[in-house]
Amino acid sequence: MSGEETGPWLAVDVGGTFTDLVCRRGSKTVGVLKVPSTRANPSEGVAEAIRRAVAAWNVRPESVQRFVHGTTVATNAVLERRGARLGLLTTTGFKDVLEIGRQKRTRMYDLVLDQETPGFLAPGARRREIGGRIAADGAEIEPLDEAAVEAAADALVADGVEAIAIVFLFSFANPAHERRAGEIVRARHPGLPLSLSSEVDPAYREYERTAVTAFDGYVKPVLDRYLHDMGESLAEAGIAAPLQVMMSRGGVASAAVARERPVRLLLSGPAAGVVGGMRAGTAAGTPDVITVDIGGTSCDIALVEAGRPVVRTEGVIAGYPIRVPMIDVNAIGAGGGSIAWLDAAGGLHVGPRSAGAEPGPACYGRGGAEATVTDASLVLGYLNPETFAGGTLPLDADRARTVLTETIAEPMGLTAEEAALGIHRVLNAAMAEGIRLVSIRRGHDPRRFALVGLGGGGPVHACALAEDLAITKVIVPRHPGVLSADGLLAAPVEQELSTAFARPLEGLDMAALTAAYGDLDARCGALMAREALPDGGIEVRHFADVCYIGQGYHLEVAVDLAAADPLGDLYRDFLVLHDRIHGYAAEAPARIVNLRAVHGAGGAGRGEVAARSPGRRASIPETREILLPAPWGRVRASVHSRDALTPGAMISGAAIVEQADTTTLVPPDWHGIVDDDGNLILERKAAPHG
Amino acid sequence: MAEHDAPLDPITVEVVRHKIDGIADEMEDALLRSSFSPIVKEGLDASASLFLPDGTTLAQACAIPIHLATLIPAVGRILTDFPLATMGEGDVYILNDPYCGGTHLPDIAVVMPVLRGGRVVALSAAMTHHQDVGGMAPGSVPTNATEIFQEGIRIPPVQLRRGEVFDDTLVRMLRQNVRMPEVFMGDLNAQIAACTVGARRLGDLAERYGDNHLGAMFDELIHRSEAMTRDALARLPAGRYRHVGHMDNDGVELDRPLRIEVEAVVGDGTVHFDFTGTSDQAKGPMNCVPSGSAAAAYYAVRAVTDPEIPTNGGCFRPVSLHLPEGSLVNPRAPAPVNARTATIKAITNTILGALAEAAPERMPAANSGALLVLAFGGADATHGTFVVGDLIAGGSGAGPGADGVDVVESDATNCMNLPAEALEMEAPIRLLDNSLRTGSGGEGTNRGGLGIVREYEMLADGITLSHRGERHFSQAPGLAGGGAGQAARSVIIRADGREEEVPSKLQTVLNRGDRIRVETAGGGGHGDPAARADAARARDLADGKIRMPAAE
Repeated sequence: MSGEETGPWLAVDVGGTFTDLVCRRGSKTVGVLKVPSTRANPSEGVAEAIRRAVAAWNVRPESVQRFVHGTTVATNAVLERRGARLGLLTTTGFKDVLEIGRQKRTRMYDLVLDQETPGFLAPGARRREIGGRIAADGAEIEPLDEAAVEAAADALVADGVEAIAIVFLFSFANPAHERRAGEIVRARHPGLPLSLSSEVDPAYREYERTAVTAFDGYVKPVLDRYLHDMGESLAEAGIAAPLQVMMSRGGVASAAVARERPVRLLLSGPAAGVVGGMRAGTAAGTPDVITVDIGGTSCDIALVEAGRPVVRTEGVIAGYPIRVPMIDVNAIGAGGGSIAWLDAAGGLHVGPRSAGAEPGPACYGRGGAEATVTDASLVLGYLNPETFAGGTLPLDADRARTVLTETIAEPMGLTAEEAALGIHRVLNAAMAEGIRLVSIRRGHDPRRFALVGLGGGGPVHACALAEDLAITKVIVPRHPGVLSADGLLAAPVEQELSTAFARPLEGLDMAALTAAYGDLDARCGALMAREALPDGGIEVRHFADVCYIGQGYHLEVAVDLAAADPLGDLYRDFLVLHDRIHGYAAEAPARIVNLRAVHGAGGAGRGEVAARSPGRRASIPETREILLPAPWGRVRASVHSRDALTPGAMISGAAIVEQADTTTLVPPDWHGIVDDDGNLILERKAAPHG
Repeated sequence: MAEHDAPLDPITVEVVRHKIDGIADEMEDALLRSSFSPIVKEGLDASASLFLPDGTTLAQACAIPIHLATLIPAVGRILTDFPLATMGEGDVYILNDPYCGGTHLPDIAVVMPVLRGGRVVALSAAMTHHQDVGGMAPGSVPTNATEIFQEGIRIPPVQLRRGEVFDDTLVRMLRQNVRMPEVFMGDLNAQIAACTVGARRLGDLAERYGDNHLGAMFDELIHRSEAMTRDALARLPAGRYRHVGHMDNDGVELDRPLRIEVEAVVGDGTVHFDFTGTSDQAKGPMNCVPSGSAAAAYYAVRAVTDPEIPTNGGCFRPVSLHLPEGSLVNPRAPAPVNARTATIKAITNTILGALAEAAPERMPAANSGALLVLAFGGADATHGTFVVGDLIAGGSGAGPGADGVDVVESDATNCMNLPAEALEMEAPIRLLDNSLRTGSGGEGTNRGGLGIVREYEMLADGITLSHRGERHFSQAPGLAGGGAGQAARSVIIRADGREEEVPSKLQTVLNRGDRIRVETAGGGGHGDPAARADAARARDLADGKIRMPAAE
């Protein structure tokens, strides 16, 4: 990263409530700001944020070198069912696959069931069957019925469809029929957005492929329009840097490339935050971190191994499983707005119901009549009612106490303080179990990770969670509440392509493998050539999905084609990974399922540990009494303003660190230092008790 | 159990509840991750539980309801045969015999005591459906078995491990009696690993809170779940509700339908299920031992009360059953029992049918009540020896405010179907049709969910077919004036055009060019069909869910 001579980088993340902007020059953060999101037309909020940045930090728009954008517009189109009117072409006999799905249900004890497949994307009336059949080995059994394609496309267009998805059986083995059908549709209806399953997700299992391809078509026109508008408003603002957007895997891509496979953006919402957390971890010298992002309604947990977020191959949107690679984020229904309630036997529960932003916690004074986690934090003295949210939202401590007393404390025979502590303890216990499971599922002991507290609520709970999990290091980034925007600038430019490759490892022809990767690399390379790449070379990585023969699930293993014995290494690495994640590794025959190439460039923070200025004890401007769980009880905590904690500043618990976007709670056994990137690194003094 | 002087801190009790649920989840996770069998990995046919020393369930994690509470009789029997005082750290006990507290032979129960200061403070247990436990057929679920000895090896309550040392004689006996000893031992070790996780974390918890104090909290949690269940049951109108359901046949005597009769006696926050009137035990393997009948009852109670009530022994206390000895729901040895899953589904649906009278405002019409089990086996040059199974659902019942869902798993099971692209890679079989079964949902203000049509063509000779159907000779009834869903139907179309109707259960051989077409049952409709909205009808017609009504 070079210094002052490079132009500024801007990142704008549009969330449900706020639009966050971060401006960096080289490795220095120039500033961060928040404006309210404009839901109807998000680009208005973005334009406003840019205007403010230009005014506040003397940024010349034409000098902006990178502009990275995180958007949930595609996600919202699905959640609100505002996607395109979609038509679907399938193999004869298979038009209902989209609706039938895998016949599983997620809510086991419901008597009246809900539809769990996304049939709404293309209801029966907009699904057409096309003659022609490809066999499992890719051979053509029956030629494509081209006349049927013409007739179906014409009928669907006459019915007003705005996009068409095409999914034929075994197109991952032989895409010829899908491609030909695509040509026919394109020739008759130029400009109509098309999604072919062999391009969107060339892997076996027809339902999963159909669903992801249909989602791709459903959001394509929406995202097209949005990115077009965004490009125009950037041009109006005088920003010439190409628009880049965050993808679900945690990399960014140019808008032009992203528009071709919009489904890859669908689950990008939480990705930037994790990348930001990863960067803070790396800067703190900890490449293995667990990020805990606590917002108003949920707690998102993600694992970063060796400086890379764990990616999974299937995500979930609006309850529908969807086979696109995404950062493995696990959500628990618990956040600052989570409501505390008593069950029929008087047991205390927290969440998953949330007071949301409206009416919000009782202390917001907007009519919230139920006690939330935020109300408890206020009663315990963790939050400052005057400076909360930078002073923009004064909190009503009396109201919080009254509601807490009436709804929880009195029925339980407790004081308001005891009830508030109880809410924290119950919530922390639930979140700690969630974190434990996420790390154990990857075969890791959580104790060797550092916890990164993100979102408005993460830093409030991080040390308590760490205590429960016997984790001894907690990192609170400089701006945990706008970390997503920060993460946008830390993410690499990345393109990923995969292909089905069903072959046993034993006796595998190396030439076939090399050729398949060669094809993927050529296509990835062509995509990367369209990107504005940061300085430095392109990193090419290869992976194979491998399983034992007979297994239905697989593991992603890195492949080093330059090694002396790539296949031998692949098998050995598969055994090691299988043993770590699944607890055993038989020397049984294995096979490849899919191949994957990932080309990446840039990406801040990998391996760059921030310098640490010499430590010096921070002055304590004031103190405040807070209430902590046993054994501490009521203690006097030093209260720091985060803005005053410059690099090298050292603090000791009990302490409260206040800043506009969050509050950090430091219990008595913890001490912290601020590194030169501004991250607050907290460590436990002694071994956790009991 | 434990004496305690200081009153319990209600917050700590709640924290401990999260911890023990977390421990059960972690055990289940370890079980699923370290098992080998596809039936565990993909069918999730395994569960993990914690018990108190008196055999009361403390917590359970199960991915499918058919496992609900099924370990209770097994743990009870082990406690009878092996007194607590004889148990030591690391000891492991196993059993699978349905007539000694098991379910069916493939399900093996593993139990490990948790000790503190030489005293058993809890039991950690896991149940896994093993891929094969010997017997007359690979997979140990022969549809034509007529006694349990044909179904696999019967393991009475025995000690597998004393501390860290395995009983070598027992291990050698077990290995000798199963078809895939490595897989068998691998899955057994996964169960032991899960129990070890439970024992370790429960030990940590006792360390932190002290075992007396912890014991008091456990009692409190069980008491709370009981109170909540009673509270929810008390909201049902007291009364006697009777319902009768039928199963097609037992797979051996094809012309004899099986009857399940239940009377649910609701009152005072309790429910009693009396199965008097149910068919005598069957010759074929549809018999269901009490653990399965109880799982069906607990599932139904949980569904009609509140599924959020933490699962522990307290939930089960207000529920009692009368299971006539020698009947389909409580057979005598040596009746075969391997195909009990279909029976558990039928029992569940019969109970729900009875309770629908008690809570008509929130109960749906009957679901298809069946999961069609197809298995194809054979060998050819391309695929080698192959065995592929397909599990196929029907429609769900319509509710008071919603249409049924098409082709979806319901009640006690939750299995995935087989993708055409997986089937055709694994076997010389082609799937020709995979469509919603138009018109199969029961009519009503809210329509029942549709069944499915699947048609398979054989591309090789000598493929054995096993077909285990249900709802071929009965229909899912509608509710509140709604119509019944269509019955299931399967037909074999031989290469020369001859058609053979499948009588629900069948073993046969198919050759190249032969096809089998299966149509699963639809769910029942809810409410008067005349009150159905015109727009809903028009949409159904456009989307191919109903047929155009015949011209007047």
